[in-house]
Amino acid sequence: MHEEPYAQAMLDLALSESSGRTITRIFLGVGRFSAIVPDSLSVFFTHLSRGTPAENAELVFETIPVVITCRACGENRTLDIPDKIPVRPALARHLAAGCDCGSNDLTVTGGLGLDLLTVEVEGTE
Amino acid sequence: MTEKRQRIDVRQSVTRSNDAEAAALRQAFAAKGIWVVNLVSSPGAGKTSLIEKTLERLGPEVRAVVVEGDPYTSLDADRITALGATGIQINTRAGCHLDAVMIRRALADVDLCDTALIVIENVGNLLCPAAWDLGQSHTVVLASPTEGGDKPLKYPEAFIRSDVLVINKTDLLPHLPPSSAGLAKNARAVNAALRIFETSCITGGGLDLWMDWVRARMADARKAAGRA
Repeated sequence: MHEEPYAQAMLDLALSESSGRTITRIFLGVGRFSAIVPDSLSVFFTHLSRGTPAENAELVFETIPVVITCRACGENRTLDIPDKIPVRPALARHLAAGCDCGSNDLTVTGGLGLDLLTVEVEGTE
Repeated sequence: MTEKRQRIDVRQSVTRSNDAEAAALRQAFAAKGIWVVNLVSSPGAGKTSLIEKTLERLGPEVRAVVVEGDPYTSLDADRITALGATGIQINTRAGCHLDAVMIRRALADVDLCDTALIVIENVGNLLCPAAWDLGQSHTVVLASPTEGGDKPLKYPEAFIRSDVLVINKTDLLPHLPPSSAGLAKNARAVNAALRIFETSCITGGGLDLWMDWVRARMADARKAAGRA
């Protein structure tokens, strides 16, 4: 059920960026490490977008990989965790392994949330 | 005339408007010297009990406001009001977390003039509350050994996005299997920077260290705002 506020926030942002034009597609980046289910988001979006310029918009999802950052040396590492592998234990293993600089102070800086990447709108020329 | 589709590049978190609301709240709280804590946990870890113990120890002279997020009831706010503090209930109904607009609205009619502390008790849920910024100074995640020591590995979001972990109900440890003692280790595995307190709201164990930290953060907030 928690996709509902994400769907509303995404719809609001898409509408505010498209200045009333008809929205045909919305490209979304779903963090590999977010607890957001695209199918569930789509259900809420269909309901919430009724009567708005985004009513018939198609949602296109892509996965945003997890990025971990070392707080000691500042190194960013993008993790390639295949879809088949459960992300949480895999991430926990990466975090527990620590940074090459020897520090264990790692933090997740990417792949946590839901990003609105691009809004495709109808335009006339 | 040909129809041409255009693409508008946005590349921003969908929580942008919430983040902006939260930033404005944070600034307003900081200007008043108020320390704001966002308390997240699964249901029944002891959030309300920890708030009760904290308010009791701060004493009635410290003006505290507690914002209680709960799907339907006002049971938690009633417990806070019974202590003489200001308890404000937000019923999220089906919603599983609080957002910054809810906090702004809840506090709109509250005189925060002499307020030293705002505690936001989020909806009991480890998945998403930590992702929605409420303008807090610190996020504290509460967990109890009865939930199992593996929770930081199963729900790392809350532990990654928190500054402090309070392991509550430590009085129950003698009755639990050894695996439940792995909470601190697993939490550190996902967030090495977590500060950890171990408390029991029943025996009072560990509450002194927690209170030292709370008082220090309240003093920091006051100092930063130029309040004595």
